[in-house]
Amino acid sequence: MHKEEIIEFLQKVVEKPDWKVREWKEQEKGKAVGFLLTDVPEELIHAAGFFPYGISGGRARMEFADAHLQSWTCSFVRSSLSLALEGKLDFLDGLIIPQTCDTTRNVSGIWQHANPLPFLQEYRLPRQVDRPSARNYLIYELNRLKEELEKFSGRKITEEKIKESIALYNDNRNLLARLFVLHEQNPAAISNRELYTIIEAALLMPVEILNKYLNGLIEALENEEAAPKSKIRLFISGTLLEPLEILDFIDENGGLVVGDDLKNGSRYIDAQVQTNDDPLAALADRQLKRIPGAFYDPPHNPRRHFLVKTARDKKVQGVIFLHLRNCEPENYDFYDNMQALEESGIPAIRIETEFVTAPSGQIRTRVEAFLEMIGGEGNV
Amino acid sequence: MFKRVPFKTAGLMKKLMGEYYEKGARSQKEGIPVAWMTAVSPVEIIYAAGLFPYYPENFGALAGARKIADKLSLSAEAKGYSHDLCAYARCGIGDAYATEHPVGKIVEPNIIFACNTQCGTLPKWFEVASRFYDVPYFLLDSPLVGGEPEEACRDYFLQQLKEMIAYLEEVTGRPFDYDRLREVLHLSNEACRLWNEVLDTAARKPAPFGFFDASFHMAPIVTWRGTQEAVTYYRELKKEVDERDKAGIYAIPEEHFKVYFDHIPLWPRLRWFSELFASHHTLVAVSQYTHSWSYSFDLERPLESLAANYLEEFVNRSFDYRVQLKLNFIEKYGCDGFVFFSNRSCKSTGLGLYDKRNIVAEKTGLPGVVFEADMSDERFFSEEQVLGRLEPFFEQLKSAAR
Ligand code: SF4
Ligand code: SF4
Repeated sequence: MHKEEIIEFLQKVVEKPDWKVREWKEQEKGKAVGFLLTDVPEELIHAAGFFPYGISGGRARMEFADAHLQSWTCSFVRSSLSLALEGKLDFLDGLIIPQTCDTTRNVSGIWQHANPLPFLQEYRLPRQVDRPSARNYLIYELNRLKEELEKFSGRKITEEKIKESIALYNDNRNLLARLFVLHEQNPAAISNRELYTIIEAALLMPVEILNKYLNGLIEALENEEAAPKSKIRLFISGTLLEPLEILDFIDENGGLVVGDDLKNGSRYIDAQVQTNDDPLAALADRQLKRIPGAFYDPPHNPRRHFLVKTARDKKVQGVIFLHLRNCEPENYDFYDNMQALEESGIPAIRIETEFVTAPSGQIRTRVEAFLEMIGGEGNV
Repeated sequence: MFKRVPFKTAGLMKKLMGEYYEKGARSQKEGIPVAWMTAVSPVEIIYAAGLFPYYPENFGALAGARKIADKLSLSAEAKGYSHDLCAYARCGIGDAYATEHPVGKIVEPNIIFACNTQCGTLPKWFEVASRFYDVPYFLLDSPLVGGEPEEACRDYFLQQLKEMIAYLEEVTGRPFDYDRLREVLHLSNEACRLWNEVLDTAARKPAPFGFFDASFHMAPIVTWRGTQEAVTYYRELKKEVDERDKAGIYAIPEEHFKVYFDHIPLWPRLRWFSELFASHHTLVAVSQYTHSWSYSFDLERPLESLAANYLEEFVNRSFDYRVQLKLNFIEKYGCDGFVFFSNRSCKSTGLGLYDKRNIVAEKTGLPGVVFEADMSDERFFSEEQVLGRLEPFFEQLKSAAR
């Protein structure tokens, strides 16, 4: 298949987010278990024989959630619940909500009353990661989740099955990571928008099929001749990449995203799972060594050091903080992160966004102005 | 406005709280480390280790009551902290950067302990503080108790208590004194028992004590819990409440109705609310908030029971558990209606109230209302909007009685 065809196909998956899941359910006569992004171990859902479906919010009719969630709830959760109430997630048989903040902690009960599902679980991540108790507890929690999935499916999840799923997802993460590298090496071959659209597609389709497409895409890209062009190197930091259109603004103005810590970006693919260990312990270890996020609480905010280091390693010219309004964990760390970048002489801006109908012209203007400022003349 | 007969114990309270703040100011000079604590966390361990526990949330409530939360918040907002964050946190962070301190400065920590039983905000705020003041930070992590409490979660909490104690031994350079811990736990038990006896008098009809009184008298159960001072205070208070009851001094004149209130008081408007409800002959009798301090420790198993008490506090429980708790209070106190305060500062108690109102109304058949505001920051308070919600509620109470 040609590169264009593959990209077009994956774009279609994102445009019709229920396409592949409905198809799969029809063919396999199986059940779909959704999860709110992104730290839920998909491997377990997959090993239980379910379709893991990543919910990353969307352009929803927010008034559906208004009867259940106050306006000061983040629009990720409001739009996700709205989608469910609109009937746009009616293919889901279950849902796993990872505990990342007070909003996720409370929304599971609300969800279960507003939109009851036969299977709804909280995935209670530990909030401290640097003491021995955290790892033991996380393994317990993974085991509990596994047992709940078993109860729901009526089948045991064997160790072998988990290992198979882990291998598949490791492949998937490797392939997606490879795409990032190719994108950085040859931005003309695959744009920012295309790259992140593919990650979005990964949340919505069977991993087996996706991996085939990714292999094809990578082969095509590797054979493409590099057309080196100087670009403005950017890092995006935040919870979720929303709106995706922001990538168009970056593409159009000569920007190249060389790194991010987003849940529907690098956070989705970072860190591999060891395959020789006890699989649950291996899943726990992956979780504990992922790139720092605001909803974990290692005491000294390693994220700011991570930002500075990555920016330096990747020769980043500017950082865009893409923050969802009302996302508390991000907001608490923002000042610190901004300070750390400032002290290191790395320019940064913060753009606050919400899941709304379309991104405002103001966001475009700000992105353009920022790129102009950090890119200078002749760089583009 | 009705004429209040002041509580005699209010004098004792003033003295106690004065002493508390003085102790805080003195501690560091005397080489006693100041430990920042969250309201729902095992302060008993801190007292037993000989540190001075300080509650920054208290500072936020005080700033709210003195109507300066918005001003303190501006110093935090100038740094990029959003006005959507919890007002207590904004006051605490704001105070760190502010040049003026109209209610005094927050007591600076030597060490910070946070427990996330209450919310995820406190750990984030305290983490920020630990970097600002450059002091060590320790988090006690409480996973949500979804259904029945799980042994493994209690065990996780217990392991962390042991980690906390080991950490304290390092900080103080002394072995932890378990006998002292048992004494402190005994005193906590006593204070909690007495405090709950006082709260329970609100079920009498008419009642000598209500939620607004409780909001005033709760400071010692938070700050002095685990000391003889708290026990003495609540013993005195209980005595006085009984005396007032006998003498016919009631919380409000002519009590016609009792209501359940969720959750925290609106500090800058405490007086306004108490008069509004009183003018409708409505006693705000009970709130799960003031009942947060209902601990009961088993002295034979001190750490295990600390783990169970602090992990399983209602705010860390499931939606359904918390609905049931409200239903129980409504029944126990004989409430005629309920008022839910949707506090934009506090996702951890505010989220879910719309659905809970529907469920509680359906199960009890009682009138109930939700209103929007902020517990401390008056920029988010509209008298007109709140009255627009509450006036029809009072009408419903009256017509339900007819
Ligand atoms: S972490 Fe932020 S974006 Fe995610 S659910 Fe919580 S508040 Fe919303
Ligand atoms: S008011 Fe709510 S969010 Fe703020 S510190 Fe208290 S429990 Fe946490």
